[in-house]
Amino acid sequence: METIVDAQNLRKTYRRSDGPDIEAVKGVDLSIRRGEIFSLLGPNGAGKTTTISMISGLVSPTEGDAVIGGHSITKQPMAAKRLMGFVPQEIALYPELSARQNLLFFGRMYGLGGRKLSRRVDDLLAFLELHERRNDRIDTFSGGMKRRVNIAAGLLHKPQLIYMDEPTVGIDPQSRRRILDTVKQLRDEDGMTVLYTTHLMEEAQELSDRVGIMDHGEIIAMGTHAELTQQVGEEDRLEFTVSGGVADGAPARIQREVAGVTRVLYDAPEQAGAESVEPAAARLTVFARHGRTALPPIIQVLDSAGLVIQSVAVREPDLEAVFLALTGRELRD
Amino acid sequence: MRPILTIVLNDLRIFLSQRGNLVGLLVIPVLLTVVIGWSLGQFVGGGQARLRVDLIDLDATGMSARLIDELRATNGALVLCPLDNDADDYCSLDGEALDLNRAIERARAGGTEALIVVPAGYAAALENFQRASIDYYSMSDPLQPDAVLQSLEAVLQRVNGASMTAGVAGALLDNVTTGLDLPAFDESVRKEFLGALYRNAEQKLIEMPAPVSFETGEEEAGGDASDNGFNQSAPGMGSLYVMFTVLGGMAVLLRERRQWTLQRLMALPLSRAQILGSKIVVYFVLGMIQYMIVFAVGGVAGMDFGDDPLALLAVMAAFVLCITALTFALAPWIRSEGQARGFVLLLSLSLAPLGGAWWPLEIVPDFMRTLGHLSPVAWAMDGFQDLIWYSGGFGDVLPEIGVLLAAAAVLFVVGVRGFRYG
Repeated sequence: METIVDAQNLRKTYRRSDGPDIEAVKGVDLSIRRGEIFSLLGPNGAGKTTTISMISGLVSPTEGDAVIGGHSITKQPMAAKRLMGFVPQEIALYPELSARQNLLFFGRMYGLGGRKLSRRVDDLLAFLELHERRNDRIDTFSGGMKRRVNIAAGLLHKPQLIYMDEPTVGIDPQSRRRILDTVKQLRDEDGMTVLYTTHLMEEAQELSDRVGIMDHGEIIAMGTHAELTQQVGEEDRLEFTVSGGVADGAPARIQREVAGVTRVLYDAPEQAGAESVEPAAARLTVFARHGRTALPPIIQVLDSAGLVIQSVAVREPDLEAVFLALTGRELRD
Repeated sequence: MRPILTIVLNDLRIFLSQRGNLVGLLVIPVLLTVVIGWSLGQFVGGGQARLRVDLIDLDATGMSARLIDELRATNGALVLCPLDNDADDYCSLDGEALDLNRAIERARAGGTEALIVVPAGYAAALENFQRASIDYYSMSDPLQPDAVLQSLEAVLQRVNGASMTAGVAGALLDNVTTGLDLPAFDESVRKEFLGALYRNAEQKLIEMPAPVSFETGEEEAGGDASDNGFNQSAPGMGSLYVMFTVLGGMAVLLRERRQWTLQRLMALPLSRAQILGSKIVVYFVLGMIQYMIVFAVGGVAGMDFGDDPLALLAVMAAFVLCITALTFALAPWIRSEGQARGFVLLLSLSLAPLGGAWWPLEIVPDFMRTLGHLSPVAWAMDGFQDLIWYSGGFGDVLPEIGVLLAAAAVLFVVGVRGFRYG
């Protein structure tokens, strides 16, 4: 399949006069195929936005380059930018203008005009179910509606490639659903390539053809959902919240005595305040080949260790598990 | 070029859609220009000047009446009380008679500019070809010119000149008669001869241009351009509000960065020069609109635009460009919209008065005039004065335009180098 984005050794270092330099992105190599949805998944601060900003020409890389449809973003930025649409994480619209006025303005900036632009704006507003509010000022819109206009502004010129930086942040589930469906439609019906960043594992899992997992400025894993989950094997993940003191020996006993358990991670409880009467809760994550079979003996071990189980969840292999397996931390940490 | 025009029109649309901006651009500058223009007009001479002067005629003869008439003819601004009092009681006599004591008290209290007393025997002195004297009372500063006194002296010079001519002729006649041992003239003949000589001399003196004359009149009648307060207030208030409007660009750039519209523009196929250039054009256009509004108000109020409107536009454009450059030079250092607002107030309210936007720099001490030229406002005001007050042309304001453009060039370099896009 043809490659539309080819980023090599992208690196961004922010120089600081009042402290050590910050290496936000540490040499990212990235290849995105035409017509796919590629997600960059990682916790906040992983370097996703900086990476996408370098690829979209918003930030100059300290090192490396990205080639978009055959045009270098550092050497031929105008040609590269013509191929892209950009949907930033923030609502990058003029709040004093209506939805239609905003879209007409950005459309003109892409060189569109006249009836063609007017029709395109109306089509997009209808596509995003905003036609009835087209003449209302943006600052009167809900968060979800603003997000949809924000997306429309990046789609005006029917770009071959669209960047979406956490487009569902801070909105209600209904609006989020609508945006996710829109993203899939862009790929399935318009053949657009989507570069999508998110810190939500469910979004990446649902949308993406391929996922790059980022942490601390590096891509630590990349591939399809199946390829990535294979990295952690076919293990289920059993998550326990327990209280009753420090589980001395319990993790080791589970790994030793319960069949199918491959690994146990134990997050010690945070120190409770002196005035607190509630025992502090700890988190225990158990990786097992057959989670549902392993669950009863694990509960027995915890009971015998004097720990009180507050909650239990059994999860099948997913990107969260991949991230956990690779970093020892959960995505939300 | 088209993207720049699109951004400029969009930004102007957003600016003008804000009611607060319209108040700052239109309402307040217009009100202030009118109020200050009207006030300065009153101060520097709008309307006809009138000088209230008490006059006590103790002689009450035809001669003294002629003196009074000549005084009125010499200085039309004099209102001789109580003779010239009007229905509005300009003399503030409150219906009471004006005697010498009251007139002296009025002069001493500053109720009148001066008191002129024509003493009894004034006409007799003149008829005997003696020097006639007039009593003059005033509290005015003896070191300053006194228009009333100068008018009086001009009239007395003529009156005494004619009297002196006749007196000298009489003495000459007597000396010749005695020296040549001729029979003395008959007294009535002699008096008639000298009287005719006096009238002839007086007529000649009246026909001669007065040594001092005072003309007053309304602006329309050809008064000095400086008499219209709007000639000062329109350029001054215009320059002040150009600074308020254009320097406000510091906060708007910050806001665009905060609301990410600046970043979205950067993701478009536009060069950074196009983005920055369009923002510069926006604030340049707003500055020119601001000047146009204020000068239009001045035009309605009858201000003088001088003889060279293109030169006037050039001074405006140079000043707006300089302030726009200052805005973009300062923008990279601004960290919050509150800080930007503070800067706008600080700069506008210090550079404007320092540069003579509120009052002419002619009235301040020399060192303040020199210091004032650190402000671009002073250079703009110099240019406006050259064109409006002294009817100068393009050549007269080239130095001012040159200084403003040079400052703009330096500030633009600073601004472009320091401008942060991200």
